[in-house]
Amino acid sequence: MNGWTGKILKVDLTSGRAWREDIPTELLHAYLGGRGLGVRLLRDHYRLDPFDPAMPLVFAVGPLCGTTAPTAARLTVVSRSPLTSTIYDCSAGGRFAWRLKGAGVDALHVSGESPRPVVLVVNGESAELIPADSLWGKTIHETVAALAGKGSVAAIGPAGENGVLFANIMMGEGNSVGRGGLGAVMGKKRLKAVVVEGERPVEIADRQRFDHARQDVMRLFRASPVIFGELGIAEYGTPALVDLMRQRRMAPTENFRKTVFADSGNYAGPALRRDFQARKDGCYGCPIQCKKSTPQGEHLPEYETVSHFGALNGISSLSAIVRANTLCNELGLDTISAAATISAWGEARGRFPDAAEVATLLTDIAWRRGDGLLLSLGSRRAAAELGRPELSMSVKALELPAYDPRGAYGMALAYCTSNRGGCHLRAYPISHEILRKPVPTDRFSFSGKARIIKIAEDSNAAVDSLVACKFSFFGATLEEYAELLSATTRVEYTPQTLKEIGERICLTERFYNCGNGFTAAEDRLPERFHAEPGSSGEGIDIPPIDRARFNEELAKYYRIRGLTPEGTFADADFLEKQP
Amino acid sequence: MHDQLAKYAARLIADRAARPDGIAFAAQDDLLITEGNPELARLAGDTLSCLSALSLVAARPSLPFADFLVQRAETGESCIVPRDTETRTFLHDIPFLRRDEPGMDTGGRIARHLGNRKGVVVEGVGIVASGSVTVEQAYINYSSVFHATFVKYLEVLLREGFRLPGEREAFAAFRRDWLRPLTAEGLVFRQGALSEPGEILAEMEAVGRYTVERGLVDSFFGNISCRSGEVIYISQTAASLNELAGCIDPVPTDNSNTCGITASSELLAHRRIYEASGARVILHGHPKFSVVMSMLCAEANCPVSDCWRECPKVRFLGDTPVVAGEIGAGGLAKRVPPVIAGPGRAVVYGHGVFTIGADFGEAFRAMVEVENWCRAEYFRRLDDGPGLAAKVVTEIRRAPAD
Repeated sequence: MNGWTGKILKVDLTSGRAWREDIPTELLHAYLGGRGLGVRLLRDHYRLDPFDPAMPLVFAVGPLCGTTAPTAARLTVVSRSPLTSTIYDCSAGGRFAWRLKGAGVDALHVSGESPRPVVLVVNGESAELIPADSLWGKTIHETVAALAGKGSVAAIGPAGENGVLFANIMMGEGNSVGRGGLGAVMGKKRLKAVVVEGERPVEIADRQRFDHARQDVMRLFRASPVIFGELGIAEYGTPALVDLMRQRRMAPTENFRKTVFADSGNYAGPALRRDFQARKDGCYGCPIQCKKSTPQGEHLPEYETVSHFGALNGISSLSAIVRANTLCNELGLDTISAAATISAWGEARGRFPDAAEVATLLTDIAWRRGDGLLLSLGSRRAAAELGRPELSMSVKALELPAYDPRGAYGMALAYCTSNRGGCHLRAYPISHEILRKPVPTDRFSFSGKARIIKIAEDSNAAVDSLVACKFSFFGATLEEYAELLSATTRVEYTPQTLKEIGERICLTERFYNCGNGFTAAEDRLPERFHAEPGSSGEGIDIPPIDRARFNEELAKYYRIRGLTPEGTFADADFLEKQP
Repeated sequence: MHDQLAKYAARLIADRAARPDGIAFAAQDDLLITEGNPELARLAGDTLSCLSALSLVAARPSLPFADFLVQRAETGESCIVPRDTETRTFLHDIPFLRRDEPGMDTGGRIARHLGNRKGVVVEGVGIVASGSVTVEQAYINYSSVFHATFVKYLEVLLREGFRLPGEREAFAAFRRDWLRPLTAEGLVFRQGALSEPGEILAEMEAVGRYTVERGLVDSFFGNISCRSGEVIYISQTAASLNELAGCIDPVPTDNSNTCGITASSELLAHRRIYEASGARVILHGHPKFSVVMSMLCAEANCPVSDCWRECPKVRFLGDTPVVAGEIGAGGLAKRVPPVIAGPGRAVVYGHGVFTIGADFGEAFRAMVEVENWCRAEYFRRLDDGPGLAAKVVTEIRRAPAD
């Protein structure tokens, strides 16, 4: 078999047992890897509570991992989110994925609950659990340093240990498995870290075809202004978007009460470069290198983080924002949810926090003490506790990122149809509504958006299963990645077949969610976006989103997906008909 | 969505890329709709219903070049492999279906190919192209295939001469009826330096329209900019040259903000050209004869295999320098600036033409001159016969370019 190893490493933390099993080839062909494989592996568990010991936490790589396919040194972690209660996945780059594949497995399946803190050490064919009492309570940096020399690390910080509902799993190189609180799932299992070492190479079935496809991808990267343009993400990182979102008047400000923040230039890409001597950094093996670091190696914040710790909380100090980002990384907190939860809380109490207060709050959240105890629950639960549920700017309890939906109607729809809650990356309509890729669409129109969102969700589910980075698709398309995949595996894939696989994955996720009680009632934006305008000006009007038109497009989406008007499945046997 | 279908059907007619009576579109939101020529509309609908895409166009091209390429293809070949940069980058190759190919229904066969590529040539039917996001995207993909097959056929014809029954007559009709004289006559340009933003935007919008209306370029193949002080006004990526209103980015030369992330992929080339030449405006397009002629080269025993990126030579088409370099960060921004300042024009191998000027009138006239020279030279070589065409090559005067 080329591309895949055909093996899964299963670890039961309750018994301390680790063993390998074969993965049916049929499943690998039908779900690829990463998100798709992880979602499939949860079929028998999706109704479990996220903190149930039997709930698996799956780390899955894809068939391109271990090759030189651009941006494919990634993995996806899949489980059920304690924050959103949905099926949940998140991908991350770095050597960890590469080495997991090198250890000879396509997936690591962790279940059970250890009686004491442990670290799972995978080295080639061997896997063992070692005590981690001395690491419990340590930051990510301290944990990674303590495990140096054993391999690549995925760890949780105090946030994950203490059950913060938006705790991340952090990769040793600084990448995060973010948003939905899978760090808390790992913490509940008392798994402090996973360390992997492996060097088994991936055999490519057709090297010449692979190299040709790779050249095609790189040519498209070079032709993409968003990727390798002189103002693109390779140069400035994702904070290159700060100025654009300001100009488009869709930068969420003061808990989404406004959409323009006057001081956003303080934390835009050029400011980061100037004030922190930002240098190129990024995922292992990635030619784009969109992450930015200081010369001392401190990771600098991404667009979502600068905007949410900045505009959303009314903070204009770049150094304070960088400090908040570093704290989140050390404590193992998701920056978007942390900043958005603090912002909702700030609006509820009538005052947004100042820069110094943010640092204290983040620490208290991770340790679940003081105000942090409430904030550790995320904005929906916290706002409800405060008697102001309308102040949570979230969908399915996942806090919205830094694209105001009043400024991009496809984004508004996609926040609601996303199977993991208010996420920008499932359909990523910002690509065409703002960045004009592959072609521009009218950001203030719903016309055609239901179909566009459905196709993009399917495509991105396939991308998440390869696993490749979505930023690749600011230049390349599924055409080139289907070629890379076919060349690697000797199984013929096309963009169309990849989209069909993506559709299967999206519907499976939705079926799981529906099985846990989700319906159209959860596919809703916060009321603010239908009732209050954004910050109009400079010839751009940002009105509230027309509710009737939104609902009409959502209903179209359900029809296109083959769902009932309630967003559910007419066919109760849907899962049984899938591979 | 009906308005979109009508708009892009009209665009295909205005571009003279398809026969007015041979155009059909299909689009699907929650329902599938089709419009246009009934036979093609049926085909478009059948095909789109098999695809995960939003739109599809099936149309009979106004020229028979795509069919000629299929008929010239050897038995066993299944796709056209264009050499021009635009197609090489974005389409890779263009699959075709032969008229007598057995198998499943035509819609299903086309869908199978469109499941893997953006456009397909169906012999005897036309060009079928899909768009995953918009109706416009299907139109763009159709235009790209039309452009690619046009350029490819002219290349092949120069190399091989007429081979097919009726080919010579069809080509004569193309020269006589389809081609129009290229001229800047009658167009109104603002003269001298432009400084007011409103004035700059209005002029860029007008000149963008001129390039399309005069047949210099198809609407999606090119970009345009104007420098005023420390700001470069440049068309956005994926902008249609004849619809530039709202699609021009002002980019500060010191990169003090990054709003220009949506600017044309050639922003860097424009910036370097301004630095090297002192020009005030730049026009870039992909006029077809210039693209064809730029790829003629008879360098003997040349060690360069990737001519698009690696050729270090400066060749000349008349007095216009030709250099290598791919789109964006692919090297074009490095090789064009050193050669463009003197002649005010340059051609990029397999790609297109850059012209500069103190105003857009100067740049526009320069582009017309380059394309007219290439057109005349092409026909001169074609009329001299394929043997001579292969020998008489663009002159190599000096090297390297940088």
